[in-house]
Amino acid sequence: MSARAGAAAVDRTLAALADPVRRRGVELLAERPRRAGELAAELGVSPAVMSRHLRVLRDAQLVDEEHPQFDARVRIFSLRPQPMDALKAWLADAETGWSEQLAAFKAHVERG
Amino acid sequence: MTGSRVLVALRVSAPPERTFDAFTSEIGKWWRPSSLFRFTDRAGSRLAFEPDPPQRLVEIGPDGERFEIGAVRAWDPPRRVVFGWRQETFAPDQSTEVAVRFEPVDTGTLVTVEHFGWDALPQEHAARHGFPLDAFQHRHAEWWQALLRSLRAHLTS
Repeated sequence: MSARAGAAAVDRTLAALADPVRRRGVELLAERPRRAGELAAELGVSPAVMSRHLRVLRDAQLVDEEHPQFDARVRIFSLRPQPMDALKAWLADAETGWSEQLAAFKAHVERG
Repeated sequence: MTGSRVLVALRVSAPPERTFDAFTSEIGKWWRPSSLFRFTDRAGSRLAFEPDPPQRLVEIGPDGERFEIGAVRAWDPPRRVVFGWRQETFAPDQSTEVAVRFEPVDTGTLVTVEHFGWDALPQEHAARHGFPLDAFQHRHAEWWQALLRSLRAHLTS
C-alpha cells in the first residue's frame, strides 16, 4: 500500500469510528459475527438507522457482509482486521521513527 | 486533533535551555534521513526551523527550495514547541501535529515527543456526539488493541 493510500485508509477508519453507535457495533462484532437485525436490537436503533451505520462501516472496509445460503435477505456482518492493522502500522512506524530521531538527537546534544 | 497518538520520551544529559536550542536551531545537524519520515523524495535535503523566532519547520532541498512540513503553533523556550507535520504523500487535507516538551530532571532534561495522528476527527464532529475527544485520543490505541485481541481470539477459536 502506498503511503497516500495507507493514510487515506487510516483516515476512513477513524472517521467511521467517530460515532458511538458504530463504535459499539464494532465492539459487538469483535465478539462474533451478527445479523443486521440483532445489531439494531442490541444497540437500540431502528433497522433503517442500523442499515445506514453498517453502510458506513462497510465503505470504510471495517466489516464484511454475507448472506447465508438459505436466505439471501438475511445479512450477516463480521469485523475485518485489516483497517485496524493499517492504523496500528502507522502508530508503530511513527513510534520507531521518533525513537530513532531522539537517539540521534541525544548523541548530538551530549557530544557537546 | 485526532484519534491516534504516539508518545516517545528520552533523557539527555544537558540543561533544558541547551536541549531546547539544540532541538530547534540545530535540527539540521542531528535529524537523520529516514524512510519512515520522508517529507519529499529529494535527496540531500536538511530540516530547519525558520526564521528567528521560528514560524515554520521546513525541509530545504539541495537547490535551496523549501517544503513546508508545518507551521510552528506554539513556541515557548525552553519548555515546549508545537508544530504541524505533513509529508508530501499526505492528501491535501491531511495534517498531523507534533508537540515536544522539555522538562528539567536531576540528570538533565526529559524530552517528550507526542505525535498526534490524522486529522480525520474534527473537534465539532466528536462534540456533536457528546464524545470527550481527549479521552478518545488517549484511549484509542488501547481500544484497538483490546478489539484486536478479542477478534484474534474469536478467529482462532
